[in-house]
Amino acid sequence: MLVDFEQIQKAKDGDDAAFNQVVVAYRKRILGTIARLIGRPEDVEDVAQEVFLRLYYSLDQLRTPEVFEPWLYRLTVNASYDYLRKQRRRNESRMSDLSEQQVMMADAAAGGKISGEERRQKQVKELVESLLGAVSEQDRILLTLKEVEGLSLKELEKIYAVNENALKVRLFRARQRVLNAFEATKASDSKPVHRKD
Amino acid sequence: MDQWNDDLNGVFASYRAAVPDPEASANFMPELWRRIEGRRNLTIRFKKLTQVFLAAAAALSIVFVTMLSIPAFNRSETGGSYVEVLADAYPTEGLASHGILPREAAEANTK
Repeated sequence: MLVDFEQIQKAKDGDDAAFNQVVVAYRKRILGTIARLIGRPEDVEDVAQEVFLRLYYSLDQLRTPEVFEPWLYRLTVNASYDYLRKQRRRNESRMSDLSEQQVMMADAAAGGKISGEERRQKQVKELVESLLGAVSEQDRILLTLKEVEGLSLKELEKIYAVNENALKVRLFRARQRVLNAFEATKASDSKPVHRKD
Repeated sequence: MDQWNDDLNGVFASYRAAVPDPEASANFMPELWRRIEGRRNLTIRFKKLTQVFLAAAAALSIVFVTMLSIPAFNRSETGGSYVEVLADAYPTEGLASHGILPREAAEANTK
């Protein structure tokens, strides 16, 4: 816990200063989790503010301060999920407006301005983005929390309020789908390119 | 298969390193409190609107109950039965002119 129970209890009782301290203590961690869940740095703060806004108005429903962290993660998961769903709808309409050539030109222009390390990180982000595209938004979030954030099954059980076996099955299937997508990507990368001379 | 699993774990670990926890901007807290205040004001306005609506509904109910309980408002215009009211509204001469009743029957009724 990054703050003591007393602080959470005060915030729960309507103390705005205590709530402010809770936000300051958790915002970096929540910003990081959201950044990896949604994969769009420009919208991370907006989603994080939505999380803390929901926290402010639902804190009175918190049964005990002991369950605060899973509660906060649940709000983070829900806000990220809402964002990803909206984003998918927006992307579908936006990408359909661009021709394939325009998309390639935009990618090439963006690729030319960055250093080697940044390019490698960009490639990793793009690879993970495309792999996670093989599963639903819910599975994407679950998989990211487990594989990237490193949360244990016990922690996930508290966040999702479902039993461990159901989570294991869901995680296994999601990982299998991502693994298949990963194999397909690697196979297509290693294929020799036949040039016409 | 194990090799692919290990490679995938490596990709996830690289992703974790490639996306570190970002620092919040200076505008983060003011913007958050602005949103909280905005939602609070909206809730207060909605509550006020609900109270006004409830008060208006209660006042209207009282007016209706009062109107029904005063005999002057409750009195029927004709005071007769349904058939008598109908007969007043549609006199038999009118029915005969429309061919609904034979003219003789209408005249007998008026006599």
